[in-house]
Amino acid sequence: MTIKDLAKRVFLVEILKGMALTLRMIFTHAVTRQYPEEKRPPFPGFRGLHALVRKENGEAKCVGCGLCAAICPSKCISVYTSEGSDHNKVVDRYEIEVLRCVYCAFCVEACPFGAVVLTDHYEYSDYSRAAFDMDKEKLLANWDKFMAGPKGEEYFKRFWRPLSEDYATPEDQPVFRGGAGAPKALPGKETVEVQGGLSDAA
Amino acid sequence: MITVTINGKQIKLEKPVSILEAAKMTGIKIPTLCHHKSLEAYGGCRLCLVEIEKMPRLQASCTQYVTDGMVVWTETGRVVEARKAMLEFLLINHALDCPYCDKAGECDLQDLVMKYGPAAGRFTEGKRKHPESYDDPIIVRNMERCISCTRCVRMCSKVQGASAISMVNRTSKTFVEPFSGGRYNCEYCGNCINVCPVGAIMSRLHKHTYRPWFIEKTVDTVCSFCGVGCSVTAQIRGNSIVRIIPESEKGLNRGLLCNRGRFGYDYISNSGRLKSPMIRKNGSLQETTWSEAFMYIAQKIKEIKEKNGGAAIAGVASGRCTNEDNYVFQKFMRLVVGSNNIDSIAGFAYAPARKFFEKIFGQGVTANPIQGISRSDGIFVIGGDPTAINPVLGLQIRAASQKDIPVATVGYAPGLKGFAANRLIPKPSTEAALLAALLTEMLKRKPLPAEKTPFEEIIGKIQPVSLNEAESACGIASGEISACVDSLSGMTNPALVIGRDIIQRSEGQANLLLLAALAQALNGRIYLSSELPNEQGLIDMGCLPDMLPGGRPVAVDSFRKRYGEFFNAEVPSAQGLSLMEMVEGAHSGNIKALYVMGENIAFNIPDNKFVKDALSRLELLVVQDIFTTETTRFAHVVLPAASWAEREGSYTNLEGRMQHLKKAIDSVAGLEDWKIIAEVSKVLGVDMNYRDSRDILAEIAKVSPLHKGVTYEDMDSGECMWPYKGEPLRHDLNIVGIDMPDMKALLKKPEKDKVYIGVDKVLFHSASLSRNSFALNSIYSEPHAKIGKNLAAKLSVASGDHISISTGAGAIELAAVIDSDMPDNIVLVPNNFEGRGAFRVMGWKMNAAFKAPALDGMEAVLKKLERVSAEVSE
Repeated sequence: MTIKDLAKRVFLVEILKGMALTLRMIFTHAVTRQYPEEKRPPFPGFRGLHALVRKENGEAKCVGCGLCAAICPSKCISVYTSEGSDHNKVVDRYEIEVLRCVYCAFCVEACPFGAVVLTDHYEYSDYSRAAFDMDKEKLLANWDKFMAGPKGEEYFKRFWRPLSEDYATPEDQPVFRGGAGAPKALPGKETVEVQGGLSDAA
Repeated sequence: MITVTINGKQIKLEKPVSILEAAKMTGIKIPTLCHHKSLEAYGGCRLCLVEIEKMPRLQASCTQYVTDGMVVWTETGRVVEARKAMLEFLLINHALDCPYCDKAGECDLQDLVMKYGPAAGRFTEGKRKHPESYDDPIIVRNMERCISCTRCVRMCSKVQGASAISMVNRTSKTFVEPFSGGRYNCEYCGNCINVCPVGAIMSRLHKHTYRPWFIEKTVDTVCSFCGVGCSVTAQIRGNSIVRIIPESEKGLNRGLLCNRGRFGYDYISNSGRLKSPMIRKNGSLQETTWSEAFMYIAQKIKEIKEKNGGAAIAGVASGRCTNEDNYVFQKFMRLVVGSNNIDSIAGFAYAPARKFFEKIFGQGVTANPIQGISRSDGIFVIGGDPTAINPVLGLQIRAASQKDIPVATVGYAPGLKGFAANRLIPKPSTEAALLAALLTEMLKRKPLPAEKTPFEEIIGKIQPVSLNEAESACGIASGEISACVDSLSGMTNPALVIGRDIIQRSEGQANLLLLAALAQALNGRIYLSSELPNEQGLIDMGCLPDMLPGGRPVAVDSFRKRYGEFFNAEVPSAQGLSLMEMVEGAHSGNIKALYVMGENIAFNIPDNKFVKDALSRLELLVVQDIFTTETTRFAHVVLPAASWAEREGSYTNLEGRMQHLKKAIDSVAGLEDWKIIAEVSKVLGVDMNYRDSRDILAEIAKVSPLHKGVTYEDMDSGECMWPYKGEPLRHDLNIVGIDMPDMKALLKKPEKDKVYIGVDKVLFHSASLSRNSFALNSIYSEPHAKIGKNLAAKLSVASGDHISISTGAGAIELAAVIDSDMPDNIVLVPNNFEGRGAFRVMGWKMNAAFKAPALDGMEAVLKKLERVSAEVSE
């Protein structure tokens, strides 16, 4: 041990250095947030609570293709569909077990219509498991609560382009156009109506 | 030896095959759309194009055969480019509605587009428009999706032989349509659904509910409808079967199914299933607990046994129950109740015919592989339409016919019309005269050897019948008969397919003797049509009044003692009663208690009124079933059983193949039949300690000499064929107990003006079970009476008019359907629908030789009903 080290020990230099820092910090702004009184806005694209997109007519956008359930790595999505009165596909049940979800957002990516989203809501603790079993009604209510309006539109513009946009031209035609640079419909060319087509979503 | 190089891999081949097959042998997969392995090569989709060195153009590998020194590349840039272009062409008109389409996920086109790149379409023209067709109750056609691969059309005409659908229109407007227009009006085998590579033809039963990844479990099991025992795969979600599909590589059906197997499974989810045990109290059935029901049955059986002896109690087994159920049931009847009174509906035709043939040729003579039918060099069909009774067996006959193998049918077999070179339709109940004439002529051309076997001695004693005698008896021109003999005498190993119609006759034994003689003269193999999935099995399990498990006669002391020794119990030596004798016994009061397992005897036995009368006189009637039936209405105790999909066990099909029936879903309310019986037995003081069906099979393997060492694993291999690893009973060459037919009586002409009633076996239904299937009912919802055109003209009845059919036993009113091939003096009525079955008005005579009912000579009076007839489709 050198004399210099000994002096440092005797005069408590390190302690004084620390105290000086503490003293300095008294006059600066605190970094601690007073959560939950004070909330931090989530970054854009934050993957929080799930929601099902509601169309203008009030119904869910989901057509029940089941691709979200197919891709889900934790198998927490189950979709039950049936035949409707005019032979259309009806989504009877759309359920997400939120507690099993790993928030990978593959479901959002896989959805061809942009019908399922992860909202930026993250405060949903509860005392019962049942509260985390989301059914179709709850998921649609989540959309109304957290994503309705411009926020929802913005979400799809910025993060996930629904695959069905690739099918979009010409109007009412489910023709695969191969993304950007694909030729547009000839002007004045009549398109043929397709039964049960994708025009809604496109 | 041909040497071919595919993608640098060299293979040597014995004989030329297509490049596609050669590639498959080396493990190289070439994509296809129009090719299907059960169909001929077509070369239409151009997706299997490959590059062959020294050939300037790409070649379709499904039609191009390999030659020596050929060098093939399957995935070069040119090939991939060509495939991509083909897919782009296909997508011009193919609707891209994959999210709605039920085929998505198992669609060949989708997979190929995924593999060969998203074919960015350059076509701006609109797609062809074609509304989905919902005209049919169970098949939906979406012709926007059709890619004109013609698999369905080829399947329908070449394999199924129905030729119900065709491609119509030309070029891009081509699509598939049934000849009958919107509704299919075909055999509804659904094999077109199976081969469609896209979602153009699909089943409506699971429309919009199915996705391949929704399936939680698949179970390979056996079909529950007929004696063929096709292998099927049940796809399950939650606790329900979403779909039944055939497995293309497995089982004897090799990817084919019939309408019952493919669509009929929905009866298990019918809401009318029995849910709780019921006991009759104060005249009505009231729900109760299992234990109370067991106590009640046990106490009653005990009382009756003490008072009247075990012989006053009888049991009815079922061909729908598994081997394990039937084994436990006969054990219960023999050892616990102490009675050999056990029989089933199989005792009416299948069992007596089998016993008769085994008496002559030895045990297991009817255990011939079904696949062998299409490989034989001639087929002789008699006694029913195999395409209706055993549809997949019928397909073997059609396949043979398409290979130019001669087929002869005797009797009205509409499903083989157009497939049979010799089609003989004799007058009702005159088949014996025809058979005798056939035999006489055969023996003229192929005389019996000088050194005769005992059976040949018997054949020699059969009185000859000339062609003219036969012509006057059965109304078939002698030229036609001798043409049939010409055809038969050219066969060296024909298949004889025999149905119940000629067995359930007063001259049934004569018919069988003549058939056995024909089989001997022709060197033929015998196939017995079986309507229930396990008729063969229940016989092997000893559910016969005179047979123990393994086909050992009760009458032989050593077998009986040996069987009893396994359980330290005494097997009663007195031969039991046949089913018909039980009913008579119940009527006369000798039988006090009847235990019915999975059979609707009040409906499936002729003369319903007599049977119901007999049932109402019983002191105890216990019925185990899955639905409320005509029989449960008379029951004192009704016990809900588990359905076919809800139990494990084994079925033995008509060729003697044992197959493993696996549990697919959990039972809603019912218990397995063996479990119910074991519980009753426990209350009666005999503890049958079975944990599961495996324990029972292990016991069968020990007790039955025929089933030595049989396990479910053997069955899973698919090759658990008769005689398994066991010992068939050596057969006694001294054939005794065969009465010579009285030819004079058989040559008696039927009276001309009388009309006889017969049972029509409907392709779309299976006894009284299938009426609970929504799908089968939507295809065939109303029973029709079938009559010939002359009879119709006489009555001035048009198709769809209602007629009343009255006999001594009663009358029914049905819509008539006219079939020009039917004999003139017969009316055929199906026995499937409540209140309108043939057996409601059909009486019976006891066939003393078989102790089974004979159904011939039932006269009926037909009358046209004057009222507006409801529209009837055939």
